[in-house]
Parts: sequence; C-alpha cells; structure tokens
Amino acid sequence: MPKIPDKSDEQKDAEAKVESFKNKLGPFVVAADATRMAMVFTDARQPGNPIIFANDSFLSLTGYTREEVLGQSFNFLMVHAANAEALAKIEAEFQGESDGGSEIRYRRKDGSEFWAALFISPVRSEDGDIVQYFASFIDLTALKEEQAHSRQLIDELNHRVKNTLATVQSIVWQAFRTAPDAKAIQGAIEARLVALSRSHDLLNSKNWKSAGLLDLLNDALEPFVDGRAERIMITGENIGFPPQAALALSVAFNELATNAVKYGALSNDSGSILIEWKINPTAEGRRVNLHWLEKDGPLVIPPSRKGFGSRVIEHGLTDELGGTVHLDYQPSGLICTMSIPAPEGSANG
Amino acid sequence: MDKVLSGHRILIVEDEMLLLMTIEDVLADLGCESVVSASTVDSAVSLVEGQVFDAAVLDMTLNGTSSRAVADALAARGVPFVVATGNQDDIWDGFRDRAVVRKPFKYDKLVEILMRLLPGRSSDD
Repeated sequence: MPKIPDKSDEQKDAEAKVESFKNKLGPFVVAADATRMAMVFTDARQPGNPIIFANDSFLSLTGYTREEVLGQSFNFLMVHAANAEALAKIEAEFQGESDGGSEIRYRRKDGSEFWAALFISPVRSEDGDIVQYFASFIDLTALKEEQAHSRQLIDELNHRVKNTLATVQSIVWQAFRTAPDAKAIQGAIEARLVALSRSHDLLNSKNWKSAGLLDLLNDALEPFVDGRAERIMITGENIGFPPQAALALSVAFNELATNAVKYGALSNDSGSILIEWKINPTAEGRRVNLHWLEKDGPLVIPPSRKGFGSRVIEHGLTDELGGTVHLDYQPSGLICTMSIPAPEGSANG
Repeated sequence: MDKVLSGHRILIVEDEMLLLMTIEDVLADLGCESVVSASTVDSAVSLVEGQVFDAAVLDMTLNGTSSRAVADALAARGVPFVVATGNQDDIWDGFRDRAVVRKPFKYDKLVEILMRLLPGRSSDD
C-alpha cells in the first residue's frame, strides 16, 4: 500500500465542507472512509460532478494524492475522455438507468491503465433533491488479465483440436491407403490413435523436461519384448532429450520394432537386435550416432517402395531432430544408422 | 488417375508429420514427385531462399510459432502459396487475399487451389 501523504490545508478545507453531510449520514461516511473498496463522493450541483471526497482506497488504486483528486471532475481519470460509449455508460450510471457495474477504462497517475466496474448512487437531501453522488469502483485488473489468459488458452486449445482432427484424418487416410482389408484398416487406425494419445500425454505432462534415450528405447520396445528380452541388447548412456525430440525418437523406435516383429529379426525364433550409441564430436558439433543392427532373422528382401514406417522415421529424424537416418536392408538383417545433434548439456561418451 | 501435377515442384511447410505425409501422398498421386518439406520456420525460409518452387502449402503455426516469416519469404520470391490453418483467426495482414484451407483438410479443395496457383499450366495433360 503506498504511503498516504499528510493532509494539506486545502484538503482540510474540503473535508470541512463535507463535515455537515458526514454528520448527517454519520456511520455511513465513516464506513466509506475505511472500506477497502475505492469510493468518491461528487457534488451533484456543480457541472461535471466534481469530486468532494475520496477515500484512501481510491487514492491507493489511482496513485493520486487527495489534493490532486478533490475538485476534479468525476471523469478526470478516463483514458479516453471523449469516448462517447464510455461517457454514455457513466451518464447512465448517474441517471440510475443502469443496473450498475459498467466497465470503464481508467488511467492511474503513473500512466498505467486499469478497468473498473462503476457503481453510482444518488445521495438526497431531506427534501428529496440529489445533492451528491456516491461512486464506488471495483478494480477489474486481475479479472481482465484472467479473462485474457483464458481466451489465450481457449485459442490454443482450439488450434490443437483442429490439428488433432487433421492428424486423425491422416491416420484414417493412410490406413485405407496401405492396409489390405477391413480388419487391417481397423488395426492400423487403432494402433496409431493409441500412439497419438500417448504422445499427447507425454507432451502435456507438466514435469516432463526430458527423457533418457535408454528409457525411451525400453519404453518403445516394451510391447515387443515379451519372451524375447535376451534377444535385444541395448548399450549406451541414458542421454536426456527434450520432449519434442524424445517423441520423434520414440515414434522411430516404435516403427523399427514393429518392422522387426513383422518382417525382421524378431519375426523368427533365432534373430537378435543390437542397439548401441555414443556421442561423437564432429565438424557440425556433437552428434549422437546410433546403430540398430538386426541379425539371424529371415532373409531380408528390400521393400519395393518406401513404406509408411520408414517415412515416419525419416521425417521424424530429419524434420524434427535435424538429424540423418539411413535404412540399409542387408540380406542378413536391417541396419539402421542415425546421426542426431546431441542435446545440450549431455556429456561426451 | 490424372497426373495433373507432374513436373511441378512444391514445398510443404507443416509441423505435423502424419499430415505432411498425407499431403505428400495426395500430391504424389497426382504426379507431383518433387515435394520438399519443412517443419520449422528457419528450415522453411532457408529452403525458400535457396531453391525454386512452383507453389507452396504453408501451415500458419509451426510448433506454436507464427510462420509469417515464411509467407514473407515466399511472397518476396513470387512463389504462390495456400495457407493451411486450424484456427478461425484472421490471416496475416497483407495476405488476406491468399487462398486458405482449413484443417481438417478437404484434399480435393487443396488440390484445386494448388492447380489454380501453379503458373503456366498447359492444357495437354
């Protein structure tokens, strides 16, 4: 709360003028003086409704001293003094033609602006004439900020919903394009919707700052490991990747594992996969070089055209990670070589 | 299927991988083999500055960032483009007269717009 300066003679004079109505209204004015709601009284018999009383809360809200406020016309705080719409709202408050609470934009002494809800009531003399107006201001700054923030969140959410619908559309489109029959189409759509939902969870978990490469691999391979654990060897440091990169890697590993189970080293009883990586300093900075080596699976026949999985891997690694990836369909087993920029803060290894 | 887009070079700027791949497939089905893609503002701008494109598909937002800089780069080189967006928001100032496709896409509409944008299409295809 800013310090309220001592009262000047002018102020004392002004207060003396309202002393009579203080006396008449007694406890009401004492309450107005003490309340935390910003309040002023104006002289209804003067043009422009000059302010004749301002409580401490009003001075705190506006940053003015009492001397600067008293005698000013009621609208002296308005940001746009000529704003016809705002002036009409204020006039309606004075005339009692409003239910109260018109939102007006005001300016503090330091130039900063605030929104306030305005409530005005007439104070009548014994013979019924309006002698003063009593106006209170509810500071809407926090509310307005909250509203703007909510608006932003809603816009962001709308954007995500539309993008997600477009992604689902792509999933359906791709499934119909590549899957041979209705059951396969259903399976493909289901698997990718589950993966989409999982990545949504990952990106939205607030505490998720990074994920380790080792953890990502174990997680991606988990659905495929069942009974084959000893056939998958993983060696490398648990290098931490930020969420977006981790997601692209996770998708790539999932595609590689799916391929291994369908056609590669995990599609027979004897095949195995070795996954190893290390960080190498290169001319373009430090890179994580990862090898995925399959062996002892069935004879590998290179695909006649680029499949969905390999395209997902390539786009993810190049577009999202700024890396390179090479899929080498050796007859003895698939060799996938990835080179990705090492995340900041990772140690050489 | 008509190879109505054969021989054209098209840039797709889109951060959602599956969407990008589907646009690629739709264009490939129409004979467009030369499709280049980017998913960030920086990579898209350097592609536009370093290569020649007949047309582009530009997502308005890439990972939460406005792709306005890409629109400026395309406009500076006279590359026609269609704006893709999931928002009901206004298109950027200076680009309000550009063609827009809303997400989820009507792919027929996307293709129709691209064909309209492409320069000097001959009638013998």
